[in-house]
Amino acid sequence: MKILKLRKDRLDFFASVVQQFGEVHAPVEVDGGYAFRRLSRWSEARLNYPRTILPPKKYFLPQRETLFRFVPEKGYVPSAEGLDTRIILFGMHACDIYSLNILDMVFGGAYPDPYYQARRKHIVIIGIDCIPDKHCFCRSMRADFVDHGFDLFFYDIGDYYLTMVGTALGDDMVLATGPLFEQPAEADVDEYKRRSSNKRAAFQLEVEIRDLPEIFEMEYQSGIWDELGEKCLSCGSCSMVCPTCYCYDVADSADLGTRDGARMRIWDSCLFSTHALVAGGENFRHSRASRIKFRFYHKQRGFVAEYGRPSCVGCGRCVAACPVKIDIVEVLERLRGVQHAVSH
Amino acid sequence: MSKPTAGIFGLTGCAGDQLVILNCEDQLLDLVALIDIRDFLMAGSANDTGCDLDIAFVEGAVMSKRDEQALRRVRARARTLVAIGTCAVWGGVAATDESAPRDAWLEEVYGPTGADYDSLPARALHEVVQVDYQITGCPIEKDEFVSAVANLLNGDAPLLPQYAVCVECKFRECGCLLTERGEVCCGPMTVAGCNARCPALRIPCVGCRGPAADANFASATAMFTEGGVSPQDVARKLRTFAPQGVQQ
Amino acid sequence: MPSAIEAPVTDAVWSANPYQPHAARIVRIYNMVENNHLFTLRFVDEDIGLSFRHRPGQFAMLSIPGTGEAPISISSSPSRPGVLELCVRRAGRVTNALYRMKTNDLVGLRGPYGNGFPVTEIEGHDLLLAAGGLGMAPLRSLLWYALDNRDRFGRVTLMYGARTPADMLFREELVSLVDRTDMNCLLTVDTDPGSVWKNHVGLLPGLFDHAEIDASRTFAAVCGPPVVYKFILRKLLDLGFRKDRILMSLERRMKCGVGKCGHCSIGYKYTCLNGPIFTYWDAINLPEMI
Repeated sequence: MKILKLRKDRLDFFASVVQQFGEVHAPVEVDGGYAFRRLSRWSEARLNYPRTILPPKKYFLPQRETLFRFVPEKGYVPSAEGLDTRIILFGMHACDIYSLNILDMVFGGAYPDPYYQARRKHIVIIGIDCIPDKHCFCRSMRADFVDHGFDLFFYDIGDYYLTMVGTALGDDMVLATGPLFEQPAEADVDEYKRRSSNKRAAFQLEVEIRDLPEIFEMEYQSGIWDELGEKCLSCGSCSMVCPTCYCYDVADSADLGTRDGARMRIWDSCLFSTHALVAGGENFRHSRASRIKFRFYHKQRGFVAEYGRPSCVGCGRCVAACPVKIDIVEVLERLRGVQHAVSH
Repeated sequence: MSKPTAGIFGLTGCAGDQLVILNCEDQLLDLVALIDIRDFLMAGSANDTGCDLDIAFVEGAVMSKRDEQALRRVRARARTLVAIGTCAVWGGVAATDESAPRDAWLEEVYGPTGADYDSLPARALHEVVQVDYQITGCPIEKDEFVSAVANLLNGDAPLLPQYAVCVECKFRECGCLLTERGEVCCGPMTVAGCNARCPALRIPCVGCRGPAADANFASATAMFTEGGVSPQDVARKLRTFAPQGVQQ
Repeated sequence: MPSAIEAPVTDAVWSANPYQPHAARIVRIYNMVENNHLFTLRFVDEDIGLSFRHRPGQFAMLSIPGTGEAPISISSSPSRPGVLELCVRRAGRVTNALYRMKTNDLVGLRGPYGNGFPVTEIEGHDLLLAAGGLGMAPLRSLLWYALDNRDRFGRVTLMYGARTPADMLFREELVSLVDRTDMNCLLTVDTDPGSVWKNHVGLLPGLFDHAEIDASRTFAAVCGPPVVYKFILRKLLDLGFRKDRILMSLERRMKCGVGKCGHCSIGYKYTCLNGPIFTYWDAINLPEMI
C-alpha cells in the first residue's frame, strides 16, 4: 500500500482541494453530540470526536428511501434520485469503515442491492484514527483497524498524519494537492508504532468473542433474556444507531386521488413487536425477551454462521444510546462468566 | 362512480383535529374533489345531518350523554368510522384522573346546579362504539391524515407507525434528552408519527400521541425514578394523555 | 469505494434490480375455499414469463400497487408452465387488496425465491406428502411435479386432512386422484356436516393406517398448522424417518425476498434464502422455528 504523510497544519488545505471531488461531509457538533453533516465551511468539522449519533450507514442505507415510484401506465419505475451524488465522508473511524465492509456482504451476495451498491461506488471514504473511550470495544471485535474499505486513511503521528492510500481515487486526491504529501521517514513509522501500542493500552473494555456462538447456544434458555426483556423499552434506539443493523421495512405510500404511489423502505428493528408478525396475526417473537435475545443472538451467533464474523464492530453506540443502560459488553460478560451466570 | 361521502365530527375536545383538516391547504381542493363532505359543522352550516356516510372522522372524547348519542348516531350512519386525535383514540387529557369525585368537581365549577349537568367520565370512542381505524395525535398530523385518506380511498387500512418516537428522533439525529441530559422524555413509550417534533426542538416528549406498541411502562417508571423523579410524578406524567394505554 | 473511472453504476437500478416487480395479469380467480381463492396469473411480458422458472416449494413476491407487497407460495408445478397459480389466504393488507381485484386486472410479481424442495435429491425415492388445512398450498406444486414426472419417483403418497370438505383446498382435483393406481391419495375430514363425503373421516394421523410407508427410502414433505407438525413429526420419527429427510415449509413475513431486510430471519437462517423449505434437523437446531 502506498504510504505518505501530511503535515497536520496542511489538512485544511487538503480539504479545500478535496472539495473538487464531491460534497464534503464530516462530523459536526449537534446538541452536544456529533453527526456527519455536509460542511458549509471546513472549520465546522470536528475530527477529534468520540462517535457520531448515527453511523455513516445513513449515507448508504438512508433512514427512508424511495425504491420505486408507481404509475399505473408505467408500472414500478425505479427511483435513482441521489444515487450518483459524489459525497466525501471525511473523518470516518475504523470501526465505521469496518461496518460498511460487513454491510457489503449483506447488500452484495447473490442478489446485489443496486441502491446500496450505487451509493457505495459514489461515496468517498477518508478515515481517521481515534482514541478509545469508555464505550469502545472495537479491538475485541477486530474492528479497531481496517486494511480496506477506505480511499485514504489518516493516522495521527504528532505533527503529521501518516496517510494510507487505499484506492486509485485516493491517490488522485493526493496528486491533486501537488507536493502537499511527503514520504514518511523511519522515525514516522516508529512514531506510528508507539502510538498504536498506546492505543491498544487505552482500551478500557475487552470482550472475548471466540466460542461466543457456542456459548449463545448453551445459554439460549438463560434467565438473563427474561431479565433484559423486562428492562428493554423496545424503543429501537440501539438498532437505529447500530452501524451494522440493516433490517428494513417496506411500505407503499399512496398519492391522494390517483393510483400513483411510491414503494419506500424504512429502517426497522427486530425489537419492534411487529418485526416477526405474519399476516393473520401470528407473531413468532411476541415477547420483548424473545426479541432482545434474537437481537443479540443474530449479531453474535447467527451472523457468524452466515458471514464468518459477528455483525458488531464494538463502536459502543448502542450502549451510549440505551435509555435503560442495557450494555452489550456486560451482557456478553455475564453470558460467559461462571460466577455471574443467572441460574436457569 | 359517485364520490364517497364523508362526515367530520367533534365530540368533547378542542376541535384541534378538525382544524388540522381545514389547515391541509395544499390538499383541501384534492380532498373535496375526491370525497363528498356532507356533514362538517365546523366548516359550514349547510349540512346533511342524516345521510349515510362512507367515512366518518370523529374527534374528541365521549364526555356526556349528548356525546354518546351523537357518536352512536354517527356510527349508525357510517360504513367506516375513524377516530382522530388522542382524545378520540385514548380519552386524552380529560381522562387523566378518573378517580376524583366527579360530583364535587361539577359543583365547584358550575355551582349548586352542577349536579344536574350532563357530564360523564371521559371515554375513548372505542369504549362506546366499534371503531374501524384510529389516527392518534394531539393534534393529528396533516401528513398522516392525508395519507390515511389516500389509503382509505384505495380500500386499504391507513398505514401508521407503531414504533416509538425515539426512532424518528434518531432518524433526525438529535441528541438524546434522556441519556445526554437526564430529562423526563416520554419518547420511548410514545408512538411515532410526529417526526419527533418536540425532542428535535430540545423539548422532552410529553407523550401526547399515546403509547407505542408494547410500550414498557414498568421499566420506564423505574428508569425515571432512578433519575430522581418520584414514582407519583412519573405516573402522572405518563398518564396525562392516554391513561388507558398506561394501564394496559 | 469509488473507482477512478466513472462507471454508470446507477444503471443497475434499472437493469439488475432484484426488487423490480413485473406486471402480471389475473387470468382466473377460482373461489376454492372461503378466503382461500386460487389466483392464476400470467406475466404481461412473455420473456419475463419464460425466464420465471421455479422449483416446487418456492415463493413469489406479489405487489398490489399503492397497497404493498407480500410473499405467496407458488401452488402450480413447474411441469405446467405458462401461468402461475397462487393459493392466497385472505389475511392481510395485500391479500385483502388482491381479493378486491377482478380478472384482467394487473398486479406486480417478482421471484421465484427460496430454496424450494430438493427435488433432485428426492428423485429415485418414495415421496410422502402430509398436509393439514391450508398446508396443502405449498405442497401442491411438489405433488404435481411428482405426478408429471412419475417415472422419477418411487411410491407417491398424499395424506391431507381438513376440518370439513368445504375447507379442503383443491378438493375436486384431489378427489379425482383417489382412484389413481400410480399413487395413494388419502383424504380425510374431521367432520362431514353435509354427509356427502366419500373419503376418510377422522384426524390426519389416522391415515397412516392406510398407507404403506418404508421410511428407509422415503422423503416426507409436511406442511400445516403447529398441531399437524406435532403429531405427524412424532409419527414419522416412530416410523424411522431420518431427520434430514423430513421436509417442512415455513411461513414468515418476507419484505424483500432476497436476504436483506431481516424480517424472515430465524436464528441464523433466512427463510427467504435458506428456506422456506427446512428439514426437521434444521428445525431442531434453529430456535423458534415452529
